[in-house]
Formats: sequence, structure tokens, C-alpha cells
Amino acid sequence: MRLRRHFHSEETSGIDLAPMLDFVLNLLIFFIITAVFTKELALEVQRSGAVAGQKESGSIMISISAEGEITLDNRLVDVRAVRANVERLHALKPNYGVMVVANQNSQTGVLVQVADQVRQGGVSNISFGTSE
Amino acid sequence: MPSKRHSEESGETGIDLAPMLDFVLNLLIFFIITTSFVKAAGVEVRRADAETAVNREDGNILVAIRPNGEIWMDRQQVDLREVRGTIERLHVERPDDSVVIIADKASKAGLLASVMDAVRSGGIEEVALGAAGSSGE
Repeated sequence: MRLRRHFHSEETSGIDLAPMLDFVLNLLIFFIITAVFTKELALEVQRSGAVAGQKESGSIMISISAEGEITLDNRLVDVRAVRANVERLHALKPNYGVMVVANQNSQTGVLVQVADQVRQGGVSNISFGTSE
Repeated sequence: MPSKRHSEESGETGIDLAPMLDFVLNLLIFFIITTSFVKAAGVEVRRADAETAVNREDGNILVAIRPNGEIWMDRQQVDLREVRGTIERLHVERPDDSVVIIADKASKAGLLASVMDAVRSGGIEEVALGAAGSSGE
């Protein structure tokens, strides 16, 4: 009995935990190393198949030009004014979603800002299309 | 000495491993549960700020669009035509994951639309636009 190192010298025999502990520690180290605690923040935007110019019924249209100018309700508006306009139109037509038509060459930053403003205005049903 | 259950009867004293093992197993279970195998894009982009951006728990596949029109996913640069195939492959690996497109502020909306279409044709309908949260959160 003396030859077996980890066993008790008395008659009761316990399971040798050392190999299991080695294995579990290896697993633990693997999961610690591969763990990634990223929080990816995102906006939900639907993709619309509608072609430019073809007005989708039942939605508020917002268009973005290549230069980043925003047109809403046939008027040129500032980014910061989108929220108030959407709130007003949403009060008038509560069932309408918002359709954002961006020019192909417009910058994505403007698009995200507009989508953010629309969501602040209370409409979360946003679809996104592009124009030539 | 007989009152201590785990200590050995003989003269040599060993450390009781059981409490440590409990602790380590708890840590292990915690890391297994919280781990998420994010398919990182591999590049840094300047995200646009958005106050209403929400945390996407299942947004594990990242597609980055750089201002010069390069598309990065799974830590390598891909062509627009390769996006669909890559998405199909990743979708088979982990069917529950959704896609977050992180487009640079200065990237073009036309390319974003093309990438979005490619992702949707690759079989993942849940596509969100990545944004940076503003100072509020």
C-alpha cells in the first residue's frame, strides 16, 4: 500500500482527484482565454426592396441626398429636426412605418443618425432603400 | 484529529482539494455559459453615434465596411461576392447567430445596401446596423 502515493494508508479508498483537477483547470484556462465580453450595439433596420421613386404606401418617406441633405415631407430638414417631424407625422398616422431612401453615395453616418432620430421619434419600424 | 473528516490519519498532512475543486468548477461553468464565439471583423471602424442603439445579444457575426469600400469579416478582407458564401458557412456553423454590419461613418450607403442584400441572400434575415452608444449608457 505504501507504493500508491495518494491513497490513504488506512483501508478506506478515495478517488484520486489530481488528474481531474488538472483537466478541469485546463478547461478553465481555455474558456478564460477565449471569453470575449463585447457588447455590440446596433439599430434594427429592415431592408426594403422598393426602387427609388416608387412610393411605398403606408410609410413616411425620408430621403438622403449624396451630399447628406435630408428631405422629409418635401422639405429640406436638419438632422436634429427629423425627430420632431417624425413625432408629428407619427401622431397623425400611427400605423405608418418610416422608409429611408438614401442615395448610393451618401454616407452611412448620416443614415445611422437619421435612423436614430426616427427611433427617438417613436417609430421603430424602419426600412432602408437606396437610390441612384 | 478524528473530528476533521478529510485529514489523513497518518503523520503526513495533505491539502484538502475538495473546496478548491468546487470553486474551480463554478468558475468553469460561469465561463462556459458566458462565452460567446464572436466572429470578429478584424478591423476597427468609426461607428456613428446613436442614442437608441440596443445591445444585440445574438449579434455574433460582424461585417465591417471601411470608408474605402473594403469589406472585412471573420478577420479577413473579403470581396462583395464572397460575402454570401461566408455568411452561408457561418450560418451553418451557428444557426442562431444574427449579423451586425458595422459600417464606417464615411462609407457609402450603396455598398451597405449591397452587403445587406448579400447577407440576406446568404440565409440570415436578422441584420442590424452597428452603432456606438452615446454617453448616456
